[in-house]
Amino acid sequence: MTRFLHTVRLAAAIGAAASLAGAAGAQAPGAPGGSGLALIAGKALTAELDGRQFIDHPVLLIRDGLIEGIGPESELAIPPGYAVEDVGEAWLVPGLIDLHSHVGGTRGDINDMVFQANPGLRVSTAVVPHNSLLKTAVAAGVTTILFIPGSGTNMGGQGILMKTGVDTFEEALVRDPGSLKIAQGDNPTRWGYGMGRLLMNYTLRSILRRGLTYGARWAAFEQGEGPQPERDIQLDIFRELYAKRTQVSTHTQYYQLVYMTIQMLRIDFGLDVYIDHGSFDSYLTAERAEDVGVAAILGPRAVMWPRPPRFDTDGQVHGTAWGFQQRGHSRIGFNTDAPVMLQQALPLQAAMGVRYGMDNASMAAVRGVTIIPAVTAGIADRVGSLEQGKDADIVVITGDPCDPRSRVERVYIGGRSVYDTRSERRRW
Amino acid sequence: MRDLRVNKTGLAAVFAMLVMAPSFGAIRFADDEDDKDKQAEGGKEGEEDEDADEWFALLNAEVHTGTGSILRGASILAKNGRIEEIGYDLHVPDDAEVLDAGGMRAYPGLVAISSSGLFGGTSDLENTVDPYGRSMVLALASGITTAVQGNQAGKLKRGEVTDVVASSEVFVSLTYSKGDPRGKRTLREKFDAAAEYIRAYRQWEKDVKKDKELKAPKKPSDSATLKVLRGEVRAKFRANERTDLLEIARLATRYGFRPVIEGCAEGWTVADELGRAGAYAIVTPRSRRTKDEKLTHDAGSSIENAAILHRAGVQVAIVPGTTRIDLGGIVGRDIIHLPIEAGFAVRGGLPESAAFAAITIVPARMMGLSHRIGTLEVGKDCDLIVADGDVLHYQTFVQWAVVDGKIVYDKADELFFAHIRPRPESALAPETKVDAGETAVEEPAEAAGDPDDSED
Repeated sequence: MTRFLHTVRLAAAIGAAASLAGAAGAQAPGAPGGSGLALIAGKALTAELDGRQFIDHPVLLIRDGLIEGIGPESELAIPPGYAVEDVGEAWLVPGLIDLHSHVGGTRGDINDMVFQANPGLRVSTAVVPHNSLLKTAVAAGVTTILFIPGSGTNMGGQGILMKTGVDTFEEALVRDPGSLKIAQGDNPTRWGYGMGRLLMNYTLRSILRRGLTYGARWAAFEQGEGPQPERDIQLDIFRELYAKRTQVSTHTQYYQLVYMTIQMLRIDFGLDVYIDHGSFDSYLTAERAEDVGVAAILGPRAVMWPRPPRFDTDGQVHGTAWGFQQRGHSRIGFNTDAPVMLQQALPLQAAMGVRYGMDNASMAAVRGVTIIPAVTAGIADRVGSLEQGKDADIVVITGDPCDPRSRVERVYIGGRSVYDTRSERRRW
Repeated sequence: MRDLRVNKTGLAAVFAMLVMAPSFGAIRFADDEDDKDKQAEGGKEGEEDEDADEWFALLNAEVHTGTGSILRGASILAKNGRIEEIGYDLHVPDDAEVLDAGGMRAYPGLVAISSSGLFGGTSDLENTVDPYGRSMVLALASGITTAVQGNQAGKLKRGEVTDVVASSEVFVSLTYSKGDPRGKRTLREKFDAAAEYIRAYRQWEKDVKKDKELKAPKKPSDSATLKVLRGEVRAKFRANERTDLLEIARLATRYGFRPVIEGCAEGWTVADELGRAGAYAIVTPRSRRTKDEKLTHDAGSSIENAAILHRAGVQVAIVPGTTRIDLGGIVGRDIIHLPIEAGFAVRGGLPESAAFAAITIVPARMMGLSHRIGTLEVGKDCDLIVADGDVLHYQTFVQWAVVDGKIVYDKADELFFAHIRPRPESALAPETKVDAGETAVEEPAEAAGDPDDSED
């Protein structure tokens, strides 16, 4: 804390007084319980869902871990008593969000492959906050992940939405359950004696039918319209799903699988579901996905090279994001599947989406790793853009966050400084 | 002797190498034997028929020479595959193949210091190259015009099988690691023998003038170390750990050669020592090496590795973690994303110019090919790329690749990427094509009839 305070540039006498107060044992400016913090920068990518996307020469006010205000330096006054940090020409960017990660606790997938469907398993019990892989993730600006079970079974269990750079479970928790993880192939074929697409779909449909019935009974009971159902912890997640308090994140891949994601999970069962790990030619489903409001979170196999007969593109190299965008899909995001791609490779997934054809004129790449995944996972009230009232998860970076050349200089999570290259060695 | 007549830079380079060379033997680092053969052939051809010269002109480009200068709206003229002139208002012969870059950027072709599969065949490039392979097209599309495969360096001469090999022995691969103490001692003994032989040979060179009967000393059994000490080929070590790096630096300093260190992950912790040893490093900025937490000193990988090595005077080349082309759908980390990997070195603090040098002139230097490739300079091979933006930016695509003065890749003509941000149809298409008879439909008669057009 004192180290942080040493580096804070304070404004005039009032600021100095605040600093004394801070050193006396309270929190650092910006953090919960601390004084206010004002960041002055060269540019801010606000990445609002429908509103403004950037501000030149912004001031961003942080108080109690939240964004108190953001606006052009010429319009927004810094209240007295605020610590002021001028980051020069650097940019302020919302903390990046990865909706497909396996490194929140261990170094690899959690695959408890005893049963084919495991809706009751929770990865929240395996979280290791601020583990070594997440430390590097923070240095790439990734501040929120959906930590999910692996795809070894059709229903791997419940994921958790968590922050990356903080030390305790309580601080890290964004939402639990973060999602129900469903895998539609081809990895679940590893299970048991070997199963194919038919058994997978059969199993999924039967468990979903049971689960949603369970969810409906509970909902009815809570509205006083039925008897209290017997509790089944295997199926409790379906109460959340039925009430739309969480979503289904699907490990899905190419066209046939994504088609089934949309048909079975969204249309037939009415679940709030998104394409996670969308790959290859999944864009062929884009119009259908858009019609029924299924977001497309893509990666890491998000380019289709011409390899007929399975991948026949008439010789063209097709970016999956390009394909979705071309067909008018409006919710395109990116994921890493860490550690398949390292957690810090999230912004590169977006950059590769652009390289292989996605039009980036409206900041599609940055939006695809900030506001789009935030809205998709239902956490846009807290993260995903630089707007008043949201968590102060802020990345200070030298330029375009998707350009590998841009250097992350500092990261704030919930108003706390969790990474600062002025006082520690660059981790990524 | 065509090349000696026009190639001033080449001459200067050869002269400089002769001056710097120790009195022992002749440096063959630039495989000048091969070059002499080619020069002789070229010379004969030139004498027989002056009209057989093949001209190529790149017009209206922002020429990034790789030597520090950027020439806007400049032209490059090449004759028989070598750069004849770079500048403004050049006289372009009527029969030149002309490429209008439309103001886009021209860079020297990229050099992959390690690759696999780009030439289709095995590491015997001369006999197994597949000049029509998909891998070669994709590599050219990524900007690579020269690549090392196995231990040979080849040029991506699409459609040709001759003069593909630029260096038939790029490195002597040596091991010097604390994991193999016996191997270390054996290697030192080999270097001792080689050094002793060189000293004896020098003495013999003096003595034999007095006594013609004096026998030359016997060559040591290990030719590899001898080649290294003679400066014919550079020694390459694969090493990542700090202790090994230090030991290699000491070995190189002791015997007087400049080591190439591949990997070099912990190089940033001993950068000064490596710099003083004149080391070259081949690094992968994104590679991760976990620090052993028992150690009290710096260890493990750092994104700043390339930058710290560079600041300490180490010549840094960059190669991605995957040296083949990955068609599995994951993009951004294989050999055709070489500039992306260089971008991660910039992230770690390497200046952009050094990052670009790390995928062009530095690897060329490591291989002893810097007199031919790596920058755009008069006298060098006309290997260049034209790109629609900063070559280190993720969105930039190579529009044309030129090897030895021939257009070997045109984005608009290939199926792979033509649909991605298509090049606007304007003056950006080549006026004269390799297969002019087939596609020259844009009123060729009128163009030929207008004297101004032919000079454009």
